[in-house]
Amino acid sequence: MKDRSTRPLWPILGLPAIVWIVLFFFVPFYVVLCVAFGVVDPIFRSPIPVWNPLEWQFSQMGVVWDRLVGPDNFYLPAVIRTLVYVAIAVTSCLLIAFPVAYFTARYAGKYRGLVLALLIAPFWISYMMRMLSWINLLQPEGLVNTVITMGGLIPIDINWLSGNPFTVVMGLIYGYIPYMLLPLFAALDRISPSLIEAARDLGATGMDLFRRVILPMSVPGIVAGSLLIALPMMGDYFTSDMLSKSPNTAMIGNLVNLSIVTPGQAGQAGALLILVLLVLLAPMVLYTRSNAKAEVRS
Amino acid sequence: MTVSAAPAEAILEESRGSRPRRLRGSSDARAYGLGTITVVYLLWALVPVAITVLFSFNEGRSRSTWQGFSLRWYTWDPTGSVLNDESIRTALMHTVTLAIIATSITVPLGVLFALALDRWRGRIPAGANFLALITFVIPEIALAIGLLFMVTYLATPFGLGAWAQVIGLVTFQLAYPIVICRARLLTIGSHYEEAARDLGASAIGAVRRVILPMLFPAILVSATLVFADVLDDFVIVRYLSSDASTETTSMRIYQTARAAPTPALNAMATIILVVSTLVIVLGWLLYRRWLKRQGQATDLGSFAGNL
Amino acid sequence: MVQPRRPLSRRRLLQTSALAVPGSWALAACARAQPLGGPTGAASASGGTAGGATSAPAELQIASPTNPVKWPINPGNEPIASGLEPESNATLRVYNYPDYLDKGVIKDFQKEYADYNVKVEYSSFNDYPEALTKIRSGSVPYDVTFMSYNYMARLVYGNLIRPLNHDYIPNISDVWEEFQNPWYDQGWQYTAPYVIYTTGIGWRADIIPEDIGARPDPYDVFWDSKYAGEIAVLDDDREVIGMTILRDGGTDVNTSDPAVLRATRDAMLEMLSISRPRVTITGYTDIPEGVLSLSQCWSGDMLTGQFYMPDGVDPSVLRYWSPPDGRGVIGNDFMLALKGGENPVMAHHFINYMLNDAVSRKNSSWIGYQPPLRSLTPDMMVADGLVPANLASAVVKPEWFQVGYPLLELSPEVETEYQAIWQQFKAGA
Repeated sequence: MKDRSTRPLWPILGLPAIVWIVLFFFVPFYVVLCVAFGVVDPIFRSPIPVWNPLEWQFSQMGVVWDRLVGPDNFYLPAVIRTLVYVAIAVTSCLLIAFPVAYFTARYAGKYRGLVLALLIAPFWISYMMRMLSWINLLQPEGLVNTVITMGGLIPIDINWLSGNPFTVVMGLIYGYIPYMLLPLFAALDRISPSLIEAARDLGATGMDLFRRVILPMSVPGIVAGSLLIALPMMGDYFTSDMLSKSPNTAMIGNLVNLSIVTPGQAGQAGALLILVLLVLLAPMVLYTRSNAKAEVRS
Repeated sequence: MTVSAAPAEAILEESRGSRPRRLRGSSDARAYGLGTITVVYLLWALVPVAITVLFSFNEGRSRSTWQGFSLRWYTWDPTGSVLNDESIRTALMHTVTLAIIATSITVPLGVLFALALDRWRGRIPAGANFLALITFVIPEIALAIGLLFMVTYLATPFGLGAWAQVIGLVTFQLAYPIVICRARLLTIGSHYEEAARDLGASAIGAVRRVILPMLFPAILVSATLVFADVLDDFVIVRYLSSDASTETTSMRIYQTARAAPTPALNAMATIILVVSTLVIVLGWLLYRRWLKRQGQATDLGSFAGNL
Repeated sequence: MVQPRRPLSRRRLLQTSALAVPGSWALAACARAQPLGGPTGAASASGGTAGGATSAPAELQIASPTNPVKWPINPGNEPIASGLEPESNATLRVYNYPDYLDKGVIKDFQKEYADYNVKVEYSSFNDYPEALTKIRSGSVPYDVTFMSYNYMARLVYGNLIRPLNHDYIPNISDVWEEFQNPWYDQGWQYTAPYVIYTTGIGWRADIIPEDIGARPDPYDVFWDSKYAGEIAVLDDDREVIGMTILRDGGTDVNTSDPAVLRATRDAMLEMLSISRPRVTITGYTDIPEGVLSLSQCWSGDMLTGQFYMPDGVDPSVLRYWSPPDGRGVIGNDFMLALKGGENPVMAHHFINYMLNDAVSRKNSSWIGYQPPLRSLTPDMMVADGLVPANLASAVVKPEWFQVGYPLLELSPEVETEYQAIWQQFKAGA
């Protein structure tokens, strides 16, 4: 028996959040568009937003576009580099996280709670602090070099913090892997044990079991986890900044950040951001759709 | 940062050992192999942090050579210690303040929206939910710059600084309680509420006295996660900060790590670590206590009595 | 409990975009008359807005040693009256490079003015462009800032700085007389000098035994793969571009010649692939700690680097080179009172305090940079032990100001060119 008087209740409850999202997510995005498609004053070169879409100017977007695909496209190496770093980092995260998540879901037994707590720990240990720890260890006289050279016996001399792309990718992996572990664990956990037992009863063992039962069932978790870390990684700039400080490891985030702090280039930063978001739109929608499907399934 | 919420809840449930695991027929070698990988991973993940904490108690200025145990960087160093360096104290206070304010706004907003989403069909809430999920995966820098531009070019009643930072943080974290509570609501289903209504409760009463208590664990989990996440945030607070009084610990670490860090930095990071751990432990204890009490209150009879 | 299949259908999208035009009118109404802070040139062109109009001319006046400029005092921006009491309970906001002011001196200042219960809050920027952007945005009411020549005209015409009332600053007599009438601010209407410096190369002699200065073109070390991966250039667009111009034999570090700029850009990109430098201003800690072995740096960096040596390493391994005839980049920083600040009188007192001979010496011994004090001659600095013998080359000689190359302000079009080069450099090869 549905009571008609409940109808207004739910919208009222939901209204604050909706207003918030419109005000502080939607409107800022529109302002970014207006600044990116705005003009720049000639003397101080400060950006002037143009509010009416019919009057939008595309010169700043043109500059950014040129830098990406024009004859002098010096943004492109950074973009490609970002894609490469993210691809390597996500793959490596997957290769490391999958065994760990698998172990925790299937084999941890009575240690499961402890292992989970330890896996969740990085969430509340500040990202910056974890990076800080690594900077410490990677110093020329830090622990890593001491261990590698066995206290000075083996003459390997690697300067980890000298703009080494390996360090930056490792930083990305280190920073983001906890965010992949949990969705992966959840997906593996959801695979019902009875299904596995049934497969075993039918004769599947070891590699076969893994390849034909477990792996296909964990694909949604893999996809969700990968998207969850790949998308934010594309905008990362502080990992490269802290661990490298070299233009040779500059990522898209560094390009945007530089434009923001340079006088007169806020519009270009906005334009670059819009392009990045356009490219990421499809994966973002993919993620929300798969999230919705997962909800339905559960 | 972000994580799909249903697993978070599931994890907390699972770790109470509610579902038994049998390893009938599994290969021991595989278990040990994977176990080793897991142990190595955990060491790799946590040992650097342990070292950072260790060196916060270092006697000398070095952050890599152990020079003896001392509380120097916490208390008695005249200019550098946490006690004496005002900028570190300001950063700590500001970080915790931001976390408290942001969590107190995010969680109610998100919980209410999750409730509404559960019952209210239509494009508007669906659209808003879609946007909220996007904030989960969008690069944080996009959100930060959007708000930076908005504050700079629109006549907002606030400028850059604490309020802008709070708003940015709430927007970024809003998806957490929405997803977590929504997942929980899906599990709860509608029969408790319908039963309460049948027994005469008003719509609001049913929500307040039936649904919310059942939702409490999810609310607790989201509050804990949001709080811990905000303590750690960097990009948003950096772009929306104004002067030195609106710096957070993550900003201080970033700036100082590039210049001349002393173990005081480690000390500050350790303090924040302790704060987050306390909050997490508190949340966990409350959660368990609540669940134990739940065992008595789940049946409809006592609900009828309360109405 | 099923979410609709398409949360944002096409019809909805069109409906929403159709809202954009009237929505934009609403937003335009909400827009700030001036973006947080400084008025824009456009606003002034249309005759001024609700805030103060600027007197932005069609062309910015660029000051240089051969073209000294006396800045106008804009209407509405007169100096404060004489004889005012400093503000009580003030939070004096200072905006500067990090580690560029001795914290001990700040504490002393607060003690000296304890009667007024002043508290100094020190915020830092990474480079001047970032500082200018922040100041223009008006988001923080900074009182005092430290800058160099790069943005004088913009600061004046943008109404961002406050002309000084000299009655509050008698300590100007402690510094070189030239600074009472410098070419970049005739009659020292807006500025008070801070420190002087050259730009050169710093390194650790125990890691790099070579005497960089003995090379025919020392700047070439950045195009030498010998030290690839261990070196850095300054995170400052003007400094890196300037150095590249000097390396190629040019002398105009403020050139607008497109051919020279093109060649400079190519050389900078070449540098990236040959020696893979890092880009940072933290050479003053990275070199002592061995994270870098060599870096482009300012003269004071190596002097202050002495205090960042790790245990067991002697400071005498630090070296600095800049052109011994003074034909290198030279400059001075100065203090400015910002118009947006809330404590103008206290700001004047602060500037006066920093000029004081004893305070200046104490500050310099910590930050490493040389103050242009009358009581301090370059020869004295080594003789009195203020500067160790291995870093005698870091002392700035007054006569170098006649032949050196200051980094001047650039016109907006030229600055855009320089910015584009820097963007390309920082985007990586």
